[in-house]
Amino acid sequence: MKDILKQLCADAGVSGNENEMLGVIKELLPENAEVISMDNGNMIVSMGDKNAEKHIMLDAHIDRIGLIVTYIDDKGFLCAEPVGGIDLRTLPGSAVKIFGRETILGVVCTMPPHLDSDKELSRDRIRIDTGLPAEKVRELVSLGDRIILLSKYTELIGNRIAVSALDNRSGCAVLIRCMQLLKNRDIPCRVSFVFSAQEETNESGAATAAFELMPDEAVVIDVGFAAQNGVPEEKSGKLGCGGIISISPVLSRDVTEKLRKIAKRLGMEVDYEVCGGSTGTNADKISVCGGGIKTGVISIPSKNMHTQTEIVQLDDIERIAKLLAVYITEGGADNA
Amino acid sequence: MLDYELLKRLCTADGISGSEDEVRDIIIKEISPFADTVDVDNMGNVIVFKKGRKTPSKKLLVSAHMDEVGFIVTHINSDGTVRFAPVGGVNDSAAFAKYVKIGAKKIHGVVNAKPVHLLKDDERKKCPPIDSLSIDIGSDSKEETQKHVSLGDMIVFDSPYENRDGRVISKAIDDRFGCLVLIEMIKSELEYDMYFSFVVQEEVGLRGAKAAAFTVAPDCAVVVEATTASDVPFAEDEKRVCLVGGGAVISFMDRSTIYDREYYRLAFECAEALGVKAQTKTMIAGGNDAGAIHCSRGGVRTLAVSVPCRYIHSSSSLASAEDMEAVFAVVKASAEKILSL
Repeated sequence: MKDILKQLCADAGVSGNENEMLGVIKELLPENAEVISMDNGNMIVSMGDKNAEKHIMLDAHIDRIGLIVTYIDDKGFLCAEPVGGIDLRTLPGSAVKIFGRETILGVVCTMPPHLDSDKELSRDRIRIDTGLPAEKVRELVSLGDRIILLSKYTELIGNRIAVSALDNRSGCAVLIRCMQLLKNRDIPCRVSFVFSAQEETNESGAATAAFELMPDEAVVIDVGFAAQNGVPEEKSGKLGCGGIISISPVLSRDVTEKLRKIAKRLGMEVDYEVCGGSTGTNADKISVCGGGIKTGVISIPSKNMHTQTEIVQLDDIERIAKLLAVYITEGGADNA
Repeated sequence: MLDYELLKRLCTADGISGSEDEVRDIIIKEISPFADTVDVDNMGNVIVFKKGRKTPSKKLLVSAHMDEVGFIVTHINSDGTVRFAPVGGVNDSAAFAKYVKIGAKKIHGVVNAKPVHLLKDDERKKCPPIDSLSIDIGSDSKEETQKHVSLGDMIVFDSPYENRDGRVISKAIDDRFGCLVLIEMIKSELEYDMYFSFVVQEEVGLRGAKAAAFTVAPDCAVVVEATTASDVPFAEDEKRVCLVGGGAVISFMDRSTIYDREYYRLAFECAEALGVKAQTKTMIAGGNDAGAIHCSRGGVRTLAVSVPCRYIHSSSSLASAEDMEAVFAVVKASAEKILSL
């Protein structure tokens, strides 16, 4: 599990550049999983009985947040804008990687204290310093190149990992692990595993993949808020809780109920998050795709979401994968 | 050319004020074959004497500090997270969402951040103050954390070093670069006898230098430092202080010292004679060990030469190798010139 996650938490794959990640995923797939398409940054992998009546989609987005180069000034400083919901507070003075013709280390410009006249952070004032001469910068960097905040795959105590892009590479790890668990099992349905593009910008990858597949049911795997200082108890699940099942008016009661039942039967502890409306995940788009798709959400609790120091616990990934493998072998939700 | 492999080892060694041990060990190992005497005083300062070809009429001390800014463990919360205070001047933003190592066992941790999704609009536009932050080592309880972390443990940034196309990005360029310059001088042939001090606790009030200057009792001194360059977008004119790529920074005055006028001019003359770039600071900002040294005992004529450094006191400061070479050349030439007067 650790190895899978480490490989998935590669630097590549800021929204729109998901293709960079597809090779990594391919390497991790079991032999009997079939890649059926790689369009628009989505990768769709099929398992189970293709002629079965029931078709279940499991979705995890593969893209990660980052920045995009919008301009190079005369001194060689890069102007950049967020791709996805970057936390501006994480930027000043942080090291970044710029994916130009070569990968370059840079620093997000910040003012020293004597000039830091309480300026508010603003997405219009993001500047990146490579320290290289302007000509060299122009040779290596092009407009549209992606940038990520530098992080470091770090093993903490308690079987926990800190690194950036755990949102949602830990969800992708769940899909991979689930496929491994299903490898030698009888699968009574058709299963499509979707590694979807551009969730962080507008959930468009999942929307197009769902349209293409038109499954009967979908379960979205993403990260959810873990309990930490400042995060309300009702919005979070504890790290190591085994997963957070979402309950929401936009989600299918059948799917959610089946996930709950399996967890209970397996004696797995889980937490719940109740939303009054949208879930903030791909489920919001998938559930209204075509004539509507029954959709559920289960999340890996994560601390420090959308920073370079996200944290998850490996046990949660393993347990959610197990739960979903049972969900699939039992043919998904019970029809009400 | 300076030994940049050694600079990497110095910068990636961990040593906040009062915990300079790792840095001191590297330095003593490097200089011992080349120095005449190497002493470690009660504070942990390394004081070195090296004979040159001639014995001058004056006693000159070249000084750099070994400590870096960082944090110290002040409390362990009931949820297992670690509270900390800055050691030296660290901005709130420098700590936010960073990777750190704690204590001698180098326990890995990250500075926590409440997810941006849950913030109010005004909270999104400002980094929270350091005293509201905590470090996560993966533990959920005070008891568990206490097995790994103790109050007073040092906390340092866990960040990369990169030297590429003549620019260095690293933590602790302030002042491991100064240590490198002193080491290179000690390894070189000197025209005159000189004293060197690698001092502790600069970042918490120029404390090591005070003791070292008392012990050496020099007539004159050269401080080798890294200093704030803010030549970044949105900073204009004199507020940029000094420029990366602008050469060695020779100060006439800062917040701790009014420098010796003759030495100030002498240093610029040396730069010109050597054909290396030099500049001065365009603001009376910052301070360094010169503040303690120049008024030691009956007074010490003091010069400071610094490498301009952006994002100083952060996990990723940035400096130019060309400037570093210029500082080394100017320091060595100025020291010899001063002793020849």
